[in-house]
Amino acid sequence: MDSARPGHHPDNEPPREEVPDAVGPDPVRPDSRRLRRRGQGELEAQVLAVLHSANGPATAGWVQEHLDGDLAYTTVITILSRLYAKNAVTRSREGRSYTWTSASDEAGLAALRMRRVLDGERDRDAVLARFISALSPGDEERLRALLARAAAPDDPDNPLGMEGR
Amino acid sequence: MGVFVCLPLVLPLTALPIARLAEQHLHPRSATRLLAVVGTLLALCSTLCLGLLVVVGTAQLPGNPLPDSWSDPQVRDAVPYEVNAGIAAIGVLAAVIGACGWTVYRHVRLRIRAGRALSAAPSVTSDDVAVLPDPEPYAYALPGKPGRVVVSTAMTRCLDAGERRALIAHERAHLAARHHRYLLAAQLAARANPFLLPLRTAVAFSTERWADEEAARVVGDRRVVAVAVGKAALFSHRAPDASVGFAAFASSAPAAGPVPRRVAALLAPVPQARLWPPSSAHAALAALVATAGTAVSALSSLNAAVALVRILHAATPL
Repeated sequence: MDSARPGHHPDNEPPREEVPDAVGPDPVRPDSRRLRRRGQGELEAQVLAVLHSANGPATAGWVQEHLDGDLAYTTVITILSRLYAKNAVTRSREGRSYTWTSASDEAGLAALRMRRVLDGERDRDAVLARFISALSPGDEERLRALLARAAAPDDPDNPLGMEGR
Repeated sequence: MGVFVCLPLVLPLTALPIARLAEQHLHPRSATRLLAVVGTLLALCSTLCLGLLVVVGTAQLPGNPLPDSWSDPQVRDAVPYEVNAGIAAIGVLAAVIGACGWTVYRHVRLRIRAGRALSAAPSVTSDDVAVLPDPEPYAYALPGKPGRVVVSTAMTRCLDAGERRALIAHERAHLAARHHRYLLAAQLAARANPFLLPLRTAVAFSTERWADEEAARVVGDRRVVAVAVGKAALFSHRAPDASVGFAAFASSAPAAGPVPRRVAALLAPVPQARLWPPSSAHAALAALVATAGTAVSALSSLNAAVALVRILHAATPL
C-alpha cells in the first residue's frame, strides 16, 4: 500500500519519511485537543490529528488514550478503518493487531474535511462560485477546437464561429 | 385593483429576453448588476403581491389578525375578494418563505462548514489561497472574513504556472467583487418566483465571465485565462470521480455549454464596458422591456399595497 496520498502537493507538505523514527515526542497540538465532538467527520479529524501527533506508527489503544472524551475502543477501530478506506492512514500488522500511521498531514486533514463538506452539499454550485461547471456532451469537442485555436498564436480577431451561438 | 394585483406575479417574464441577451451584448459586470437588481426587485414585488392576496383572501377565515369590520360587505366590495385565490396564496407564500429560508440556511451552513474545515490547517491557510491535497480537481472562492480561494492539488497540477495565476486571479475576483451576494440574490429571486430561474442561470454565468475578464486584466493575457478555463474543464471532465448532479446549464445537446462560451468569449476581443446603449438594438429593447416590466411591477404592487392599507385604515374604527 502506497502511503503517500496521491493528491499531495509538494509545496504544502513538509518532507516526511515513510517510517519516521521517533525523533522526540511531537507535542500534541492544543487546538486538536480542544475540538469538541461534532459527529463522524469531527471524530475522524480528531483521530487523524492524534495519529499525526504520534509522529510514527501507533496502536489503536494509544490513539484511544490520547483522544479527548471517552470513545470506545471499537469506535476508534471503526474510525481508523474508515480513514484507512479513504487512504488517510496506513496500517501494518504487528503481532495480532495493527499499528496505524497517519498518511495525511495537516493539509491532508483539511482536504479530507473540505471534501466532506463539498460532497455533502448537493447544490454547492449555488453557494460557491466554481471555476468550472459541467460539460455537456458536445462541449468537450467544442472546447478542444477552441483550445487548438488558442494554441495557434498570432491569429487575432478570428471570428470563432460557434455553432451554439 | 382587480386583476392588476396579480400582475407582479407574471411580470418577471419581461426579464427573460434580457437574461438571454445580456451574455452577448453587455459587459459581464453590467449584466450581473442589471440582472441581479431587476431580479431582486421583481421577486420582491411578486412576494409582496402574494402577501396582499393572502391578506385579502383570508379576511373571512376565523382567527385572522384583521379587524372585525374587515368582513363588512362594503369593505369586501371595495377589494377584489377571492377566498380561493387567498387560500392558494397562503400556501404559495409559505412555500416561498420556506424555500428562501432554506436557501439562506444552506448558504450560511456551507460557508461555516467550509471555514471550519479549513481551520484544521492553519499552516495551509495563512495566505488567502489554500491548496488542499485532493485527487478531485476543484477550485472555489469561499466568501468570508477573510475570503479564501480553495484549490485542490489535482487542479493546480493540470495547469502551468501562468494558468495557475489566472485561476487564482479569477477566484480572487469573485471574492473582491463579492459575487456570492449576486448569486444568493439571484437564487432567492428564483425561489420567490420560478419565472426568474433563467435569470439565476444568467447571473451565475455572468459572474463567471466577470471573474474571467478580471483575471485577464490582472494576468494581462486573455489567451492564458482561456486556456486555463478550458484545460481545467477538460481535466475535470476526464477525472473519474468528477462530481455529478449539479444544475445542468445546457444538458440539451445542441447549444454550447457555459465553459465553451466562456473560453470563446475570452478568445474574442475585450467586451465594451459601457452600459448604455448596448451594442445591439435587440439587447436595448430587451433591457427596456425588463426595466418597464420592473417599473410596472413595482408600481402595481405599491399601488395595491397602498390601496389595501387605506381601506384597512378606513375600515378600522379608531
